Amino acid sequence: MQTVKMVISGAVNSGKTEFIKTISEIEVVSTERRATDDTKAIKKETTVAMDFGRIAIGNDLVLHLFGTPGQKRFDFMWEILSEGMLGLVILVDSTRPETFRETNRIIDFFISYRDTPYVVAANKQDRPNAWSPDELRLALRQPPRIKVIPCVATDRESVKSVLLELLYVILDRSSEG
Amino acid sequence: MALVGNIQDFGLSDFLYLVDRGYKTGCLHLNRENEMAILFFEKGKLTYAALCHDEKLTDFLVQAEKLTPEQAGALTQAYERSGRNLPMTQVLLKEDLLPQEELQRTLQTHVEEEVVYSLFGWPEGAFRFEHGQKPEFESPILPTPLSIENLIMEGVRRIDEWGRIRDRIPSTDLVARFVDQPGEKAKGVKLAPEEWRVFARINGKDTMASIAKNTNLSEFDVCRIMYGFATAGLVDIIKKPTAAQLAQGAQDQPKLRRSLVSRIINRIQTM
Ligand SMILES: Nc1nc2c(ncn2[C@@H]2O[C@H](COP(=O)(O)OP(=O)(O)OP(=O)(O)O)[C@@H](O)[C@H]2O)c(=O)[nH]1
Ligand SMILES: [Mg+2]
Repeated sequence: MQTVKMVISGAVNSGKTEFIKTISEIEVVSTERRATDDTKAIKKETTVAMDFGRIAIGNDLVLHLFGTPGQKRFDFMWEILSEGMLGLVILVDSTRPETFRETNRIIDFFISYRDTPYVVAANKQDRPNAWSPDELRLALRQPPRIKVIPCVATDRESVKSVLLELLYVILDRSSEG
Repeated sequence: MALVGNIQDFGLSDFLYLVDRGYKTGCLHLNRENEMAILFFEKGKLTYAALCHDEKLTDFLVQAEKLTPEQAGALTQAYERSGRNLPMTQVLLKEDLLPQEELQRTLQTHVEEEVVYSLFGWPEGAFRFEHGQKPEFESPILPTPLSIENLIMEGVRRIDEWGRIRDRIPSTDLVARFVDQPGEKAKGVKLAPEEWRVFARINGKDTMASIAKNTNLSEFDVCRIMYGFATAGLVDIIKKPTAAQLAQGAQDQPKLRRSLVSRIINRIQTM
């Protein structure tokens, strides 16, 4: 059985758990608990260790989705999660510009030494004050070749389209055969 | 839909960059304690800015001693006659009450020195950008809108502490390189002599620390200047990768076969 891995990352509260829950075919082994540190002010529940999702592609192939933990004290997990990943989805809460800088730091962390294929998902587009994907591209200073895709993490079709866009980027870079 | 936030978290220069690159038209409203400001943009350029809501061109020019009260009265009448469907600035130029260059210079100095640059000193402030909102015709609208890069560079010149700069340049071991396509933008930027000295040394290899050494500028000044270039979209700030890291990066990257990626795509499409 071959497994391939994708990482779903983004600032605290960007929608990582929701995104994986929406598409995964097994019960997500996410560890939600009352937040204790820097995230307490924002939300009651946060991902403590990581999120995990699974999509079987066939008898011999499975896709694993790993969500990074939001809280800073789990940053060491990232290095481990990012090893050998096929691609990366960066989720952004489009309604909270105060998280854009943090989002940039996350992108830098993942792509500074590896040329990992990634897309940016402009999440929570269903909310009234969401910044548009075009505005987010400028705010996050993403070059035109990086896709910034509108997303509603609770909507399955929307999550599918984000994963597919990422897969097209990966396809472009993959070897023949 | 309005864009809302706080300049403490998403800086004014970041916002101006967004307006510029996004060719935005609309009004940026800023508020803190008992202060406010409004900045109007037309296709990414600044057309008017003020620290209050109801500034009038006539009052402003009389106060600046560019028009006599009588001339201001004549302007108001001409504006009424025109049916109030042109900005008053345009009517003034049509009536030849003031040469265009002088009007531009007077309004530009006011907008830059008294409004925009002072905003760079705000440590925080709620902002709201209303798409499509235009200034009142009677406002002192600039005959020639101002390009944003120079406002950003000038704002950055007034930064005197590390705080903001560290967001983008957390260490002096970082390197600046030119962005792939700065395009037209790079042409209009006016640099001060010491900025040129730094600009000339951007090569994608030398660190901030070594540029400081080579130019005899302080590390703070080099980083501040680079911060300005980065904010204006001229350069990217990157890590200086070692040969070993580059080699390892290449190994880390699993090269998947197309057929395998296609299988994953097919599966997700049919979910
Ligand atoms: N309206 C709306 N709400 C969303 C969307 N995605 C996530 N949310 C909500 O946003 C909140 C945060 O979502 P999570 O999935 O817990 O975010 P997270 O990134 O896992 O957060 P941490 O684990 O704390 O880092 C939850 O209340 C979600 O229900 C979306 O697309 N639209
Ligand atoms: Mg979570």
